[in-house]
Amino acid sequence: MVFSSLLFLFRFLPAVLILYYIAPRKLRNVILLAFSLFFYAWGEPKYVFLMLFTITMDYFVGQGIDKAKKEGNQKKAKRFLMCSILVNLFVLGFFKYADFLIGTVNSLTGASIPLPGIPLPIGISFFTFQTMSYTIDVYRGNTTVQKNWIKYGTYVSMFPQLIAGPIVQYKTIAEQMEHRRENADDFAEGIHRFMIGLGKKVLIANNIGALWDTIAALPVEGLAVGTAWIGALAFTFQIYFDFSGYSDMAIGLGKMFGFHFLENFNYPYISRSITEFWRRWHISLSSWFKEYVYIPLGGNRAGIAKQIRNILIVWMLTGIWHGASWNYVAWGVYYGVLLLFEKLVLGRVLPKLPSLFRRIYTMFFVIIGWVLFKCEDMSYGLSYLKAMFGGFGTGLWNQETIYLLCNYAVLFVIALFGSTMLPKRGAAVVLGNGRKKTWAENAVVLIFYGLIFVLSVAYLVDATYNPFLYFRF
Amino acid sequence: MSTKKQNLVRILFFLILIFGMTGITLISPKREFSQRENRSLAQRPEASVRRCFSGEFEKDYETYLTDQFPWRDGWIGLKTSVEKATFKTETNDVYFADEGYLIEAHTGSFSGATASNNIRYLQTFMEDCAELYGKDHVTAMVVPNAVDILRDLLPAHASPYDEELYLAQIAQAMPEGMWFESGEILREHLDIPLYYRTDHHWTTEAAYYVYEAWAREKGLDPLSLDQYRKETVTTEFKGTIDAKVGGENGSDAINLYIPKEEEHYQVYHAADGETTDDIYDYSCLETRDKYSVFFGGNQGRIEVTTNCDSEKRLLVVKDSYAHCFIPFTLHNFSRVDFVDLRYYNESLKEYMEKGDYTDILFLYNAAGFAEDASLIKLGN
Repeated sequence: MVFSSLLFLFRFLPAVLILYYIAPRKLRNVILLAFSLFFYAWGEPKYVFLMLFTITMDYFVGQGIDKAKKEGNQKKAKRFLMCSILVNLFVLGFFKYADFLIGTVNSLTGASIPLPGIPLPIGISFFTFQTMSYTIDVYRGNTTVQKNWIKYGTYVSMFPQLIAGPIVQYKTIAEQMEHRRENADDFAEGIHRFMIGLGKKVLIANNIGALWDTIAALPVEGLAVGTAWIGALAFTFQIYFDFSGYSDMAIGLGKMFGFHFLENFNYPYISRSITEFWRRWHISLSSWFKEYVYIPLGGNRAGIAKQIRNILIVWMLTGIWHGASWNYVAWGVYYGVLLLFEKLVLGRVLPKLPSLFRRIYTMFFVIIGWVLFKCEDMSYGLSYLKAMFGGFGTGLWNQETIYLLCNYAVLFVIALFGSTMLPKRGAAVVLGNGRKKTWAENAVVLIFYGLIFVLSVAYLVDATYNPFLYFRF
Repeated sequence: MSTKKQNLVRILFFLILIFGMTGITLISPKREFSQRENRSLAQRPEASVRRCFSGEFEKDYETYLTDQFPWRDGWIGLKTSVEKATFKTETNDVYFADEGYLIEAHTGSFSGATASNNIRYLQTFMEDCAELYGKDHVTAMVVPNAVDILRDLLPAHASPYDEELYLAQIAQAMPEGMWFESGEILREHLDIPLYYRTDHHWTTEAAYYVYEAWAREKGLDPLSLDQYRKETVTTEFKGTIDAKVGGENGSDAINLYIPKEEEHYQVYHAADGETTDDIYDYSCLETRDKYSVFFGGNQGRIEVTTNCDSEKRLLVVKDSYAHCFIPFTLHNFSRVDFVDLRYYNESLKEYMEKGDYTDILFLYNAAGFAEDASLIKLGN
């Protein structure tokens, strides 16, 4: 199930809200767990058992590690941890990468091992990373063990963040699983985040995504340079509004139930370097890799050669995490190289350059990156890049370029504006910075929510076009 | 306002939106059929363990919820208005063209495998027919759509030229002398409405001019337009593109041309085995699907016997573009049969052998031709 659907808005959400809030506090985790399993099973009626298996295994492993550590048996604790990591990586490898690995072996060796063709369980990359964060942190002593299966299951399967993140590390909400106090402040803030996220996804991401689809459907050799750039820019906005909109909705829904998830995006497109971009984009994933891969590999404390190696490993893994295809590997390595280049070469120069130049520099490489990312067929991706740089001799623009630009001008302006902090600052100027607002100011806020809601419903009723991009990861 | 009160107002507002709308979806009456979309709406699906596990139930339930959503047409209309307000000149692959025309872009229709296969099927069919009937008696006519003919009305800078290229490909694939270039005729008459503003069909007038040119080429003797009595049977026609776009889009008039000198017909509908003496089904004017006034709409096979004293018998293999064209041909043939391959599953060859035809006309619209998966039956 996805948040931006009539089913979620007018069946699931009202049901879970009512039952959650009429239930006594003791039962609230059970209710969340039940609804989360239902939420997952709606789209994946079989794979819900896979998730239950992962939950149960890591639940017991966590206890095993805890017990071994209390007995002072570090070796045993380590064995438990290895077991958890191996099983999780195996599950992920089997369900997500089997076809890719076998396909690669086939093409390298000329063998023809049949592809198993296993459908990808939704959200598997997210929940396996969450459960691993738990066992690793129990092992490291960074968090306490969870002795209650219901609470642990609720953490892993919690529907707001289940299928597209953010990747919530257990230690950040361990306390909240035990005793959290839902309150009106959080709930109202949750509504705000949810509405903003809904609008970002349904009104901006879906619509500008249609432009990318239109352009990607045209023969690539015939694309004018301008058209190719408009397409790449459309996808750049689509993926940001889609994914950050989803995170906004997840964080907002979490707040409605008293949870505080960490932020996942922080205006990535205003970054002034690639390094900064990755501090602002999909923060929960970068922190996960940093904490559980980069630092254990030695991070930057073992000399520059090892640091380079570590950075490249982390970025290759980040790439492949996004999908079982070579273009994702290329995309990851592309960023690894860019980050190294900034670290080793540009580091001193970049800060001295004007902000505008640095932003253009950053977005240039980000946009090129998204083309690599989006085109799973790498030969198509490379042709597309060729079109963007005039490699087909098609000219800078043609009738089509102007037509598409005119049609999407309003949406582009909204998306551009919405990628910056200007709307937030503008709202603060108009409605005042303080939390207390006058009646009139409150009315403006409510009208704004109402507008987003009504327009989103209109687009959802109309739309057959409503795919979530981050579904496959 | 105190922050406490402020929060409560916000929460209340949100809950009213969510629960209010949920309540309305629960109590609003369910509809069987959408006139506007001309299709049955999904009903509440049956739940069973097997269907739940296979995911069928979940899918059907979501379709049901969307199909039965209260004020469905209103929501879709709202979306269309927003698109227009943000200067979008197309929605759902439809251009908001000048003079109130809604024109389908047919994006991608002409580049698929079906589109190229259909040219081959038609080519073979035409070659076979030429052998049987002589090439002067066989015509392939694929009529351009509004997006090609009315390109001057399209929004500024819109440039969908692939239909033109596709038509040229068909023309080239046809055996010498068997392709009839209807687009040229239509372009001579751009001063009159050649297509409906809200529907994908061409108008009766457009069909007449093409008929007239075709008939002259075949040495037939067409009636001139003033030998017909023009009858405007409705001005309230809202067609298929209107349904696709939603919202308020105006409406069209449908004109019939009745020969002033009375002609008599016997019309046999193979679908229900009934014979009538009228080629028009006026009851369709009471429904949304008013274009069905011609012969009562799409059917597999219809056979018309006329009082024309001619030996000539015509078979038309066609889609619905032929429905407003065929009435004119009844003046020139003693018998006109027509087959719609989308609904006809018997052998076309056998049917042609039995019918003793003198002339064959293949008549489709370009987009319909390019997308139609049933043209493989031309070889049946």
